[in-house]
Amino acid sequence: MSTIDTSSNPLLRMEGIHKWFGKVHALEGVDFQVNKAEAVGLVGDNGAGKSTLIKVVSGYHRASRGKIFFENKEVKINSPKDARALGVETVYQEQALALHLSISRNIFMGREPSKALGFLAKKVMDEESMDALTSIGLKLRSPDIPVATLSGGERQGVAIARALHFEAKLVILDEPTIALSVKEVQEVLDFVRELKNKGIAVIFITHNLHHVYSVSDRIFVLVHGQKLTDISTKDTTVNELSKIIVRGTMGEKTLKEEGIE
Amino acid sequence: MASESKLSRLIVSFRNVGALAILVILVVMFAIFTPKNAFIGRANIQSMLALGSEFMIIALGVGLLMIAGEFDLSIGSVLAFCALIFTWTIELGINPFYGTLITLVCGSLVGMLHGFITVKGKIVSFVTTLGGMMFWRGLTLILSEGVMRPAQTTEFTAFQALTTGKLGGYFPAQGIWFLIVAIVLWAVLHKRRFGNWIYSTGDNKMAARSMCINTDLVKIVCFMIVSCLCAFAAVIQTTRLAAFSSRVGTGWELRAIAAAVVGGTSLRGGRGSMIGIFLGALIIMIIENALVIARLPYEWTYMAFGFVIMFSVLLDLVIEKQLQRA
Repeated sequence: MSTIDTSSNPLLRMEGIHKWFGKVHALEGVDFQVNKAEAVGLVGDNGAGKSTLIKVVSGYHRASRGKIFFENKEVKINSPKDARALGVETVYQEQALALHLSISRNIFMGREPSKALGFLAKKVMDEESMDALTSIGLKLRSPDIPVATLSGGERQGVAIARALHFEAKLVILDEPTIALSVKEVQEVLDFVRELKNKGIAVIFITHNLHHVYSVSDRIFVLVHGQKLTDISTKDTTVNELSKIIVRGTMGEKTLKEEGIE
Repeated sequence: MASESKLSRLIVSFRNVGALAILVILVVMFAIFTPKNAFIGRANIQSMLALGSEFMIIALGVGLLMIAGEFDLSIGSVLAFCALIFTWTIELGINPFYGTLITLVCGSLVGMLHGFITVKGKIVSFVTTLGGMMFWRGLTLILSEGVMRPAQTTEFTAFQALTTGKLGGYFPAQGIWFLIVAIVLWAVLHKRRFGNWIYSTGDNKMAARSMCINTDLVKIVCFMIVSCLCAFAAVIQTTRLAAFSSRVGTGWELRAIAAAVVGGTSLRGGRGSMIGIFLGALIIMIIENALVIARLPYEWTYMAFGFVIMFSVLLDLVIEKQLQRA
């Protein structure tokens, strides 16, 4: 594909991914690539296949057909555990955190460090939690606060800090800015920039083109389970993108540039 | 943000302080109003700890299970079923220590079955264990033909001392077991990885799943803990009564849930603490005991339970609002 820059450093490459749910053809041979330290916006209307594609990467769905390469090696992702072992962390809006648990207990959920005899190493958890939060530019007073007392933006920050702490190479953010105030959205977008600065690749799924445009290197548009375009943010505008999505086809000018027939 | 941290900590600790306050108020009230202050008499405290601990030990497990987001309505029936098994081992002439082991294993298997049906069948545990409540009671009645039978272990003095003896001639062994179970479960819930998995599972199952926690296994283990504690309570109760009765434990299931709720455990899971559950179990046990000592008609017990539960739930509501607001 001419849209994939072969000189780049691919982290994740998916080739000809198909997914059927019974008779529903949710993904129809999608090619998708994310390079190292690159932020890719994944956009498309409802039912376009965005979350299906992401769930194939994060191990919740198995692709019916197609190949996945991670760091140039072909891999099989059959479970969330497999994805995590590769360094793929997914942050879901509503599913990321246990609200009544403290920040540090959330960050280490399922991966709690323990001392001799299997007791929790609370001090380690607290210190490392604060470090992880600070590293994405989030300053919270104490790692003991229940997550329920944080703002929506701060909660996203906790979930992203968790991904970061466990040395993710690719962080997938599923609608991270939905239902957030303007100020909180800016916070989350700053977290994304911070991830990129640390050399971590990001897939950013959203309905909001303005949000994704300001932090992404590339925008990948899905329509009806097919790739519509994969375009560098340098070469497009929010207006153009929204026209493409609404029309469901490429404009003539962009068509020529992209070399899609 | 400092105030947020302080506030939330205050709220969390206040919940236990609230339960403690209820406990202290009840103790003082009952001490004053029972005839001849019999409530705080040595004999009553001993019998409370000896008899009450049987219920309280199970209530601790029920609270733990509720934090994982599930209920167990079968505890009374599982208690009776395990009492029958323990009685059988005595009748077969098996050493009661081995008999205890066998009973604990059987109890755990019952819990495993409840847990397995609940998580694999994706059935609400309220329903599975309601079924369990009827099934195990029925099975116990059929197998025992509903008659009482003796279960003597008097020749095993060490066993007697460990289960129903008195430490220093004063403190009942059952009370010590209650403390031990409480401390062990406290450590499991608050100081170990598994505790964090219990909270995560009850609070947000999807989050726990996405962090690779086997929430099904967590729930099954919690069901097993409850039934294993039922088996343990059955052993010490049968030893104390020196007899088997198929009627033991009736009405305990709702009282155990009440104990957990009074102790600040959320009915929706994910919230609660072992200290709170411990206090809640004491509160429910004390109300039952004191109203008997006060020679009030039994109906008053139900009213008192009702009042304390409503108060606790309302308190919870206020706390939840505070959390959302902060």
